[in-house]
Parts: sequence; structure tokens; C-alpha cells
Amino acid sequence: MLRRLHLELGFAGLVFLVGLVGLRGTAELDTGWASDGPQAGFFPFRVSLILMAAAALVAINAWRARETLSRTVVIEREGGARVLRFGLPILAMVAVAQWLGLYLAMALYLLFTIRFAGRRRWATALGVAVGVTVVTFVVFEKWFTVPLLKGPLEVMLGLG
Amino acid sequence: MLSNLDALMHGFSVALTLHHIVLMIAGVLLGILVGVLPGLGAPNGVTLLLPLTFSMDPVSAIILLTSLYWGALFGGSTTSILFNIPGEPSSVATTFDGYPMARQGRASEALTYAFISAGIGALVGIVVITLLSSAVASFALRFGPPEYFAVYFLAFASFIAFGGGAPLKTIVSLCLGFGFGMMGMDTVSGSMRLTFDIPELIRGISFLVVVIGLFGLGELLLTIEEGPEFKGASGRLDPRGMLRALASLPRYWVAVLRGSAVGVWMGITPGGPTAASFMSYGLARRMSRNGARFGRGEPEGVIAPETADHSAGTSAMLPMLSLGIPGSATSAVMLGGLMIWGLNPGPMLFIEQRDFVWGMIASMYLGNVIGVILALATVPLFAAMLSVSFSIIGPVIVTVCLVGAYTVAGAPFDLWLAVVFGAAGYLMKKLDYPLAPLVLAMVIGDKAEDAFRQSMLMSNGSLGVLWSNPLVGALSTLAALFLLWPVASAVLGWHRTSKAMRMARAEPGS
Repeated sequence: MLRRLHLELGFAGLVFLVGLVGLRGTAELDTGWASDGPQAGFFPFRVSLILMAAAALVAINAWRARETLSRTVVIEREGGARVLRFGLPILAMVAVAQWLGLYLAMALYLLFTIRFAGRRRWATALGVAVGVTVVTFVVFEKWFTVPLLKGPLEVMLGLG
Repeated sequence: MLSNLDALMHGFSVALTLHHIVLMIAGVLLGILVGVLPGLGAPNGVTLLLPLTFSMDPVSAIILLTSLYWGALFGGSTTSILFNIPGEPSSVATTFDGYPMARQGRASEALTYAFISAGIGALVGIVVITLLSSAVASFALRFGPPEYFAVYFLAFASFIAFGGGAPLKTIVSLCLGFGFGMMGMDTVSGSMRLTFDIPELIRGISFLVVVIGLFGLGELLLTIEEGPEFKGASGRLDPRGMLRALASLPRYWVAVLRGSAVGVWMGITPGGPTAASFMSYGLARRMSRNGARFGRGEPEGVIAPETADHSAGTSAMLPMLSLGIPGSATSAVMLGGLMIWGLNPGPMLFIEQRDFVWGMIASMYLGNVIGVILALATVPLFAAMLSVSFSIIGPVIVTVCLVGAYTVAGAPFDLWLAVVFGAAGYLMKKLDYPLAPLVLAMVIGDKAEDAFRQSMLMSNGSLGVLWSNPLVGALSTLAALFLLWPVASAVLGWHRTSKAMRMARAEPGS
């Protein structure tokens, strides 16, 4: 389980890092104020600084309230496990989609999550996986003619 | 006023074609579906549908998208009342009394109260738009870049002061939004900003992908964490209960009036429907004679948040149409849509695109009437749909979200972005960072920056231009005051947030 204090501090740290990266990104830009007003890097530079300052203040506030925040559980062990079990397959699906295309990735994702995470019968999982993928294909490729990401399989079948 | 009525009649002649009515019905049905399903909300639903409207004409497109919005607002209440699961953040307050009513076997009554009062709230919002929007627009026609910047500044500042979130966390959200919005080509100088030599970042990050991540995947993770159990009251409707509710609705006119007023105010200022429904519920509980019965199945506790929710949802279209400033996350997405369809949001719309503006306003009347009818008629259908286990619906919603993220620009990279923002959205919700400011800042951040830089070009780099005439001076001063408001109230120890507003912090302004 995760205490609120740790999550607050961790996320504030992440935001601070994002600000730092933003600051780094303005290094090659003119961050000054010329006669025609602010230059391209003016706002990115200052927004990054404000972001870092706000993140630091959030962290300080959290630390000042550490008594209560360290007693508050923000994510329970069970709930967190459920989130991970649900979230990681999504990540896998996106990784697979880069390589095999979106259709195959979503069919595989649906098949395995419904079978194993959802503990449904193979027939149900296969039905949903094939059904949703085919409906998506018809709606996007045929009705709205919006092509989705395709992989080697679609090319092989002559659908790419 | 009379010319507005003429324009409205013209709008009806634009909106009332068979094609448009079919679109309205389709939009409302899709919207109810989106509203009923946890993890899919109004901002996300509109985002998912947006890429499919690129080839439509703008009037049809906006009718489809706004109808989806109305449907989503109605659909969120269905699950709140029957299952105690708010389908939308803005219908959380409806669960407080709606679900107890359903458990007492008064689900039909509760649903009727909810939908009819929501419909009335929406109509009040639309009447306000009809009467005021062209006046606001013609006033705004005199705006130059400094005035525009001042109005944008005011919108951001009022988020910090009144958005309901902790001010520091709102600032973090806003700055993240500004930062993501700035990525890509700088429109004034043409140089690349914050792209870190990554080719995928050259076109910037689309706010649509961010919305799908934050509001779609993030919301799903939250639902999963709680371990959703759809155990609720029966979805069967009892006509006698509905008639009873209809007959006693006039008794609650004060709650309806108060809710509408709160909603209109929170919709026009960027408070949004969620904050509006909580505030209206809180006010009703404090001011009503039945206040003590709130939370145990009091009809007024359903009517108050529903009216405010819908009047805020509709009146959020007023600043979007007439100023180009969205009042909620959903209208921010629609504003982005306007730009994609080649329209220039702002007061010029009322002159150049009369068909579009008044067609849209007229469609709002009909769309909400259709919404009330369809919402009531489809309760059994959608209630049955929720009995399908989440272990099947959840993964299907995930694929819908990712397909939507891909269709925004046809970029495989956007799939990664959606997942990253999904995780971020989950954590931000857990820590009460408001999400709507981030979206708003992404959509209008660069417009605000352009307006500021144009003002500086006009004044040779002097900030005095922001106080160069009474109008812009008043706007800038007000914005500065709003910005200092949290500091001042902290120093003076005024920061007594009511219980309702604390709860609204969960997600203001969706």
C-alpha cells in the first residue's frame, strides 16, 4: 500500500523533473525580451520555472502536513494490484501495436485479458476479441475511411 | 432582443432538417452510452468522435458533438441513481440522494426528477445563450490583442481562484498544460520549441490524445482500483412513479431556480458542471426546509445538482462561442474542433458564420428535449448493459480509447502518449490535481501567448498596454486580483472551504 505523503512527494518530484526538462529545452532559444516583446523562449522558460516552484511548494506543504498525510493510505495493496493487472496489459498492447498493427494488438489484448484477468471461457474471450476487432475495422476502414495502424499481417492479407 | 429571435428562427431553419435530427438522435444515444459507461466521459466521448467529423460540414459536426455532450450529461445520472456509480464526475452529487431513493424502490421517481430538472436546467442555460451571446460577441468585436490577452488571463486566474482545487495544484496543472501546448513550432518566430530533437514532437502534442489519456484511461484505472460492482436497483420503470414525480415537480421550483442560477454562473465562468452540481447541492441542503432529510432520499437533493449540472453544461457554450474561451473541459475540446473544421472561434463567428452559430444554438433546444425523452426511454436498455461484467466492458473501452488516440493524427507515437497520460491522469486524480485546467491551458495557452506577443508588438514591449484603456485595464486588474486571491485569503485566514467545494475538488470543471 502507498501512503499519501509518499505519493505527494513522488509526484511533486516528477513535476519538478518535467520542469527541469522544460528548462533544458529552452537552452537554445532566446528567452529574453526584445523591443518587439517576448521572444520564443520567454514563456517556456518562465512556465518551467513556475512549474518547478509550484512543485517545490506542493512538496513543502505535503511535508508540513506529514503527520496526517503519512497516516492516510492513498492506494491500498489490493486496489494497486488491480490497477497494475489492468494497466500493464495496456502497455503491452501498445508495444505490440507498434510492430503488428493496432488490429492484431487489440484482438490479442482482448483475448488474453478477458480470458486470464477476467477469467472468462475461451469462447467468450475469442468472440469479444474477434467481434470488436471486426466492428472496428468495418467502422473505421469502410464507413469513415479513417485508416488505422496496420502491421505485416494486414499487408499479407491484402488489407493494408 | 428581437433580432436574436429572428436569428434563432433562422437557426431553427438550419437545424431542423432530417439529416440533423438523425445526427442529434445518434449523438444523444452515443452520449448516453458514453455517460453510462465508467471511464468514458463527456470530454473523452467528444474527443473520440472528433476525428470522425473532420469530413463533415461544421453545422452537422457541432450538432453531433453537442448532442453527444447532452446525452453524456443525462447518461451519467442514470448510473448514479441506479447503481450508485457516477458515470460522470459531474453526477457524483446526484448519487447522494438519488441512490437512496432507488434503494427505497423509488428509482422511477428519482430518474424522472433528475431528467426533467436537468432538461429545465439545460433550457435555462440555452435561453441565456440565446439572449446574451450575440451581445457578448458584439461587445467582444471591439477587442484587440490586449483585451483578448486580458480575457484569457482572467480565465486562467479565475481557475486558480474559484476552480475549487488547491491553488498550487491548479497552477501545476495550468503550467503543465501551457508547456505541452507550447511544444512544436512557435507560431510567431517559426522556431522549434521544446521538441528535444525528437521528430515525433515536431508537430507538438495533440490535446486530444492528452484528453483520452487523462480522462479516459486514467478514469478507467480509478474505476478498476475501486473494484467495480454493478449491483443496483432494477432498471424497470414504473409509470405511476414517473407521473407522481411529474406532478410534484412544481413544488420544487425554488431548487430548480437556484440550481439553474448556480449552473449558469459556474458554466460561464470556468467552474464547470462538476463544481456547479456540488455547489448547488450544498446550497440546497443549507437553505431548504427539507435540508435535514438530505442524503436519505430527498427529491430536492436530486433536483438541485441535476439542474445545476445541465445549466452549467449548456451555458459553458456561451464563452466558447462568443469569446473563444471554453468554460469546461468538454467545451475546450469542442473549441479545438472548431479550429480543425476551419472556423475561427470568437466574436467574428457571429458575423461570418451565422448559420453555424444559430444552427448550433437552435439545435441545443431540440437536442435537450430529445435527450430527456431518450434518456428516460433507454433506462432499461442501458441498465441491462451494465449487468455485463466489467471484465469484458473494461478492456473494450481501453481499445476504444487507444483507437481514438491513433485516429487523431495517425501516429503510432500517440499511443505511447495516451498511455503515459493515462498513468498521469490516474495519479493526478488520486492527489486531487484538477485536470480541466491542464486541457484548457493546452487549448488556449498558445492563443493567449499570441495575443500577448501581438500586444507587445503594438506597444513596443511595454506592459502598459494592458492598462491602456478602462476596459482592458479593468479586465487585467480583475485577473491580477483573482491571481492574488488564494494568497490573500490564506493570509487573512478566510480559506474556509465548504464541504461541498471540498468534495468538488475531486474533479472540477469536466
